[in-house]
Amino acid sequence: MSGIIDTSNIIYSYIPVAIILVVALLMPPMTMLLVKQLSPRSKSLAKYETYEAGSVPIGNARIQFNVEYYLYAIAFVLFDIEVLFLYPWATIFKEPNITTIATIEMLIFIFVVLFGYLYLIKKEALKWQK
Amino acid sequence: MIMMELTEILFNPWLRGILGLCLMGAIFMGAMLVVWFERKLAADVQQRLGPSRVGPHGIFQLVADAIKLLTKEDIIPANADKLLFVFGPMVLMGSIFLMLVAIPFGAVIINGDTYPIAATDMDISVLYIEAVSAVSVIGIFMIAYSSNNKYSLLGAFRNFARMIGYEVPLGICVVSVAIMAGSLNIIDIAQAQNPLWFIIKQPIGFVVFFIALMADMGRLPFDQNESEEELIAGWITEYTGMRFGLGFFAEYIHMMLGSMLVVLLFLGGWNLPTVLTSNMLLGIILPTAFFLGKVSLVILTIIMIRWAVPRFRIDQVVDLSWKKLLPLSLLNLGWVIALVLLGV
Repeated sequence: MSGIIDTSNIIYSYIPVAIILVVALLMPPMTMLLVKQLSPRSKSLAKYETYEAGSVPIGNARIQFNVEYYLYAIAFVLFDIEVLFLYPWATIFKEPNITTIATIEMLIFIFVVLFGYLYLIKKEALKWQK
Repeated sequence: MIMMELTEILFNPWLRGILGLCLMGAIFMGAMLVVWFERKLAADVQQRLGPSRVGPHGIFQLVADAIKLLTKEDIIPANADKLLFVFGPMVLMGSIFLMLVAIPFGAVIINGDTYPIAATDMDISVLYIEAVSAVSVIGIFMIAYSSNNKYSLLGAFRNFARMIGYEVPLGICVVSVAIMAGSLNIIDIAQAQNPLWFIIKQPIGFVVFFIALMADMGRLPFDQNESEEELIAGWITEYTGMRFGLGFFAEYIHMMLGSMLVVLLFLGGWNLPTVLTSNMLLGIILPTAFFLGKVSLVILTIIMIRWAVPRFRIDQVVDLSWKKLLPLSLLNLGWVIALVLLGV
């Protein structure tokens, strides 16, 4: 037996989630409030500077810069959605009268995506851009 | 009659929420112990003493550290985006503790019925756990972007590159496990490994999942977002005092929850031969003890790996995931499909 909560009402499963979420979100501000009471304050402007190994920071950090893995990110979106389609299939896989058809359909799907993967490798899209 | 009332209490979602809060406290204590354990073990590996002053063998070192962090001044840099700087740790903590809700911390077996010690029970808990653990990347990016520090930003971008690579093999391994168990409920998955653990049925899946999980948790050799030799402290450079402590703790809690996930998905969870659990008292104690024992072994392995291997370069990490782990995880999926169709 595995049911530890009456799952007939789906909300019941998520009440504990809501409770924990509220506590988890409140924890950092509460801790910081405590720190505010306990910690000393010193007046110095230097401590508000951005740390850059001791030297005066040059420019802003929020600049346009070359993300070397842009093509990976595109491929990631494709593959992650592939995995999402696998989840519902995985749960019904063992039901006797759909196993065969579900397997064949999903194998076709996986092979299509696999060809896409081989194409990416051949095109050298999955290569760290220098 | 008493059993009926007990079940009714167990079904109550509000009481489950309170149990979840207790588990939260427990994992905080656990994380403190693990930090001490890691420092002690690291010292042993490098032939040092490690923490030894506060309490016997320095076991209260973390209490002292917590007091120190609490009494440090909280500094928000002048160039930082204050709103994101404050909200970043909240998102990180929220994501980590949302993972905790769905993960059972063991089980109690009374008269052959199993009652998992978990805050909640949902049909899709594995999918849910993966989804909320992916949110932590957003928390890390908020922290890094708000800091307005070049080192932080570089660390966060590396974090994204790594996450992009390892989420896919991780997901495929979880799907393979779900196919074998016939359910996405983590409690059902643990129960499905009663005679035979999934590590024996799908060894490739275990290896891929373990590596991908290490990368997901950002443990060395996959801590490119932090790599203190080049990036100071990576994504968390600008954080001081308790704000830093929160991020630090979140990482350790993530590691502990990840180890539990490994045990639940591949190492048989709390399952024991029925002979051992038929006794009332043993049924209450043994499954949880067995489960936590295995979790400690996994944590020990992860820590030992950290102190035994050097860090990869970021492009090597990304290559490893896309060119080796992804095909291997698909191979494992095919293997699992064949096994299930053959009726093993």
